[in-house]
Amino acid sequence: MALIELQGITKYYEMGSQVVKALDGIDIEVSRNDYLAFIGSSGSGKSTMLNILGCLDRPTSGEYNLNGKNVEILDQNELSEIRNLEIGFIFQSFNLLPRANALGNVMQPLIYRNIGVRKRKEMAMEALTRVRLDDRVDHLPNQLSGGQRQRVAIARALVTNPSILLADEPTGNLDSRTTIEIMQLFDELHDEGQTLIVVTHEDEIAQHCRRIVEMKDGRIFDDSIVRSGSAKVTT
Amino acid sequence: MLFALFESSRSALASIYAHGLRSFLTTLGIVIGVASVIAVVSVTQGMSSFIGDSFASLGSNSLTIASYTPFEDRMKGISARLTPEDLEMIEKRAEGIASITPLLYANRSSQIKYGSQTAFSQIMGTTYAYQDVSQSYTQHGRFLAQTDNLTRRRIAVIGDKVRENLSLPDNPVNEYVDIGGEWFKIVGLLETRGEMMGFSQDDIVLMPYATMVSLQGNQARTDIQIQLSLSENTEVEDVTRQVTTLLRNAHDLDNDEDDDFIVQTAEQLMASVETIIGMVTIVIGGIVSISLLVGGIGIMNIMLVSVTERTREIGICKAIGAKRHHILMQFLIEALLLSLLGGLVGLAIGYGLGTLISRAIEGFPPASIPLWSVALALGFSGFVGILFGILPAAKAANLDPIDALRYE
Repeated sequence: MALIELQGITKYYEMGSQVVKALDGIDIEVSRNDYLAFIGSSGSGKSTMLNILGCLDRPTSGEYNLNGKNVEILDQNELSEIRNLEIGFIFQSFNLLPRANALGNVMQPLIYRNIGVRKRKEMAMEALTRVRLDDRVDHLPNQLSGGQRQRVAIARALVTNPSILLADEPTGNLDSRTTIEIMQLFDELHDEGQTLIVVTHEDEIAQHCRRIVEMKDGRIFDDSIVRSGSAKVTT
Repeated sequence: MLFALFESSRSALASIYAHGLRSFLTTLGIVIGVASVIAVVSVTQGMSSFIGDSFASLGSNSLTIASYTPFEDRMKGISARLTPEDLEMIEKRAEGIASITPLLYANRSSQIKYGSQTAFSQIMGTTYAYQDVSQSYTQHGRFLAQTDNLTRRRIAVIGDKVRENLSLPDNPVNEYVDIGGEWFKIVGLLETRGEMMGFSQDDIVLMPYATMVSLQGNQARTDIQIQLSLSENTEVEDVTRQVTTLLRNAHDLDNDEDDDFIVQTAEQLMASVETIIGMVTIVIGGIVSISLLVGGIGIMNIMLVSVTERTREIGICKAIGAKRHHILMQFLIEALLLSLLGGLVGLAIGYGLGTLISRAIEGFPPASIPLWSVALALGFSGFVGILFGILPAAKAANLDPIDALRYE
């Protein structure tokens, strides 16, 4: 069974008297260890797609199965739990808690799983080591470079051992050198069996992925497998 | 639940610490409120325990009987009174009385002159028995004697405060003072008794009862007070009952009529003083607690600002799995901790203030803080914190994660 199954997903917004169809009938399946990029121009529905996939928002209609669970019928608290258990977010603007150090940021999602502080620290250190940031654990976000911040965010996403990593323009705020670093990290994670979904408008980023889904006007315009097997690319 | 509580407290403390100055200013309202409550309570409590001690030293085996006219009767021009005949009757017929004395307060000007000095004092006519009843003795000269009363001698025994006010010599015996236009020879100086509730107990002039009666002239309606001390092994209640029965008979009171006099023990006096102090405490406490409410509003205000400021953080926390109650708890606990910290600081300041006040005013009893006031102050500030924390916390908990994440 596919990890993610979307059937007839729509998302309508009412803007005054007008109805904006941000998503207009999406059917898609994402299997385990997929490495998928959503591309498209702004207004194509990528961000709405990400919000729905990430259980931040509920669709107007349609069915969403995540890891065998029907998600579209859950309330906000249940969605929080699903996000905590199944999804790791990586944002363009990193979205770290400014007053917590790297370790604290990575430990944060574990608090909502009622994991004790010692175990939390252990798991967070592991995740930070995984992103090669174990020497910066007590730095505050504003003491870290952009690439380092994004790696903290990736560690935070990984620490809960989620079913999918959802990255929203993960390199949008980074220079080209750090972009390569981050994408290499993504490739490695994919090789280790992680399922990754990246939303981007940059072709270079999309080229790292195994499968590219192009969106247009709230619909899937093109869905193509670029490569099969490992996505290791040297740049 | 406990886990969440603990984690929320940890992050709330971190956030309070991160905005040190702002947190301090926010709690200032609570600090001032609690400090004033505690200062007021500590001073009045110190006073009341001191008064308790003073009354205890007065001895619980003395009774004071005074006339009592209900307010309505007074409006009609009726006034109850105790007469020398009443005294005589009680003396003859009541059992268990060691000594008994009338007290007649000067009804005219209580001005006293000595040389060029003028002073005002409390002037009372009484008898030698007053010495036993009130346990006041002379340090110089002698007390009033029985013969003084019989011969209506113009003599006086004065308190030390009066001597001081009139610039009399250290031993004023045999000096003459002018009381209400008559010359009085001072025969004794009372021992110093100090102050009680800020009133000097040494500002007093005693003269023979008969002299006072004659000074007041042909006042037909003499109203005296009667003080008596009990002999050993006599119950206060027993004597009170006897006196009440005797006086009711003497005053021809029917069964359905109220007493036109009151019999007070030192304990009753103390109780009534404590009632007054209790009322003052409650009233001032009530006024001051308004400032606690104002402090609470201050906390709510800052918490609302803080929620807005941290909208994005809230969004992040929600995105990575925080549920409603996680966010609610965090902000509620932050408000609670803020006001509790304010309460603690206020407690310390209030105690310091109370001590300072009682030290600054001479003769004032030392401040004391009863445990209930500590519990009340902290409980109330905690309550204020939760009450005014609910709105901001609910606002934070109800934020939509997408909107919150997008918030700049």
